[in-house]
Amino acid sequence: MNRSRPLWIALLLIWSLLPMLWQLITSFTSSDALVNADIPFQQRWTLAHYRELLSGDPPFWRYLFNSSLVGGLSTLLTLLLAVPAAYGIARMAPASRRTIRTVVGAAALFPYVLLFLALLELAREFQMGNNLLAIALPYAGLALPLALLLLISAFEGLPNELDDAARLEGLGVVDRLRWVLMPLIAPATASTGILVFLFAWNEYPIALTWLSRDDLLTLPVAMARIAGSSIYAVPYGAYAAATVLGSLPLLALVLLCQRQIVAGLTNGAVKG
Amino acid sequence: MLKLHTLGKRYGSRWILRDLNLEVLTGECVALLGPSGCGKSTALRLIAGLEHPDEGGIELDGRSLDGIPAERRRIGMVFQSYALFPHLSVRDNLDLGLKIRGMAPAKRREQIDAVLSTVQLVNEADRRPEQLSGGQRQRVALGRALLRNPSVYLLDEPMSNLDAQLRDELRPQLRRLILQGPQPVLYVTHDQQEAMALADRIAVLRNGRIEQIGTPQELYLKPATRFVAGFIGRPQINWLKKTNGACIGIRPEHLRPDENGDRCRLIGREWLGANQLLLLEGAAGQLQMLCSADLQPGENLGVSWSPQDEHHFDPISEKRLSRS
Repeated sequence: MNRSRPLWIALLLIWSLLPMLWQLITSFTSSDALVNADIPFQQRWTLAHYRELLSGDPPFWRYLFNSSLVGGLSTLLTLLLAVPAAYGIARMAPASRRTIRTVVGAAALFPYVLLFLALLELAREFQMGNNLLAIALPYAGLALPLALLLLISAFEGLPNELDDAARLEGLGVVDRLRWVLMPLIAPATASTGILVFLFAWNEYPIALTWLSRDDLLTLPVAMARIAGSSIYAVPYGAYAAATVLGSLPLLALVLLCQRQIVAGLTNGAVKG
Repeated sequence: MLKLHTLGKRYGSRWILRDLNLEVLTGECVALLGPSGCGKSTALRLIAGLEHPDEGGIELDGRSLDGIPAERRRIGMVFQSYALFPHLSVRDNLDLGLKIRGMAPAKRREQIDAVLSTVQLVNEADRRPEQLSGGQRQRVALGRALLRNPSVYLLDEPMSNLDAQLRDELRPQLRRLILQGPQPVLYVTHDQQEAMALADRIAVLRNGRIEQIGTPQELYLKPATRFVAGFIGRPQINWLKKTNGACIGIRPEHLRPDENGDRCRLIGREWLGANQLLLLEGAAGQLQMLCSADLQPGENLGVSWSPQDEHHFDPISEKRLSRS
């Protein structure tokens, strides 16, 4: 078993990383070479797809910026609401906690695609279309149930006596969150934040209906436009380049919070 | 002075604690002693303000604590689980409360250094709680309570998570740091020996009510109820088979070998070092006798005791019967 472990790990890595590697290679391959295997190795490579994307109107980095803004704002809003709420719920009586958990769980499992028409009506009514700040509202709302579930478990993992000790040290509720509880659930908060950010980063139907101005599109919508830009050809190269560029910020984020995410996934509880 | 009057707490319709009247004088240590679930920890939580009483009130130095939140009560509490902040170093654990109370950094440093040397943790100041032994953790918790400069100390089974050797080490420190100070101390424990060793007075609790309050000597010599007689003193008191309706107890240390006494059969023997514990079966039922380690008992031996060492209790009310 131990001997074959490196082999299994290698197979798993190939399984999950090969598609990304393929995209990376494709993004640097000229459009001709993509459909013609006879072109010699040295003449296959190009930066044309990236150049095309970044010099487009609007340039591709604009979409990256839009998505980062929406993602960041949604995450911030979600955590701002979910952390205090989860703390409050985690300190309730077990019976009420079970009820709330069931309701929130049901909300988390609800297929949100069914809501997008209703949300569109709301956007029209309150004139929130084509506004990057406004679209963070439905995103935060939709991400809230899952964030709550994760954070409630994290708070439940903290012994009550820690809270008691902090109170007797003179810490009010805000101080307790700031100095004792938040640092202890930082791993869970980080992994929750990443999940919310990912959701906002990937979200398509709401972004498609709420945003129509070219310079306000988020990544998924922009990428769909690139893919459908011509009815005669599929722009594999440009699409692959967009995929690579669109993954970079996420990669950076995950590398940055690597330790917290792993800690958050492996143990929610903090031992005293 | 800490004063509890008719203090009561219930969950739903079940009273956890009822009719608790107790005064802890300045400089006095009172132990709340009882089996688990008797409400002793609840009493501490009520005084600390972590829970709210359903009945009665609490006064500290003549002022009612009603409506004062836990954050603003000046209480030094030590928990069984230590409840140190796991993400902070020893120094930062001690610092957090001072910082919140807005003390100047230089003064904080000075006070923390003083306390660190008092609890003998100067070299551990930068360690995290997880890097400390149980005894060291509990000393950090004591230091934290000391820095609070409280009006009353509440100790909730502070030594229950420590092994016997560490307890012996911590006990004199506890006495030196906290019990000898001017503040009243309320000490919760289920260990009667610990209560006897540390407390000036002991309140024995059972099912949320006080059975008896008194000095360790009073509790040992004149237990007010059958429960107290059974709870105080180790090895446990012997209950004689009913003779005249009363319930009669006699402590193992008050039995003595006597050729003319009741005939008993030896069924067990525990050697304790300085003395030994004999388990006997006789007309009065099973008896434990604590006697000199030199005694070499045979299969059968006679046992007697003097009548004034007997404790008599009413079999119904379980209250002590006074005997002339």
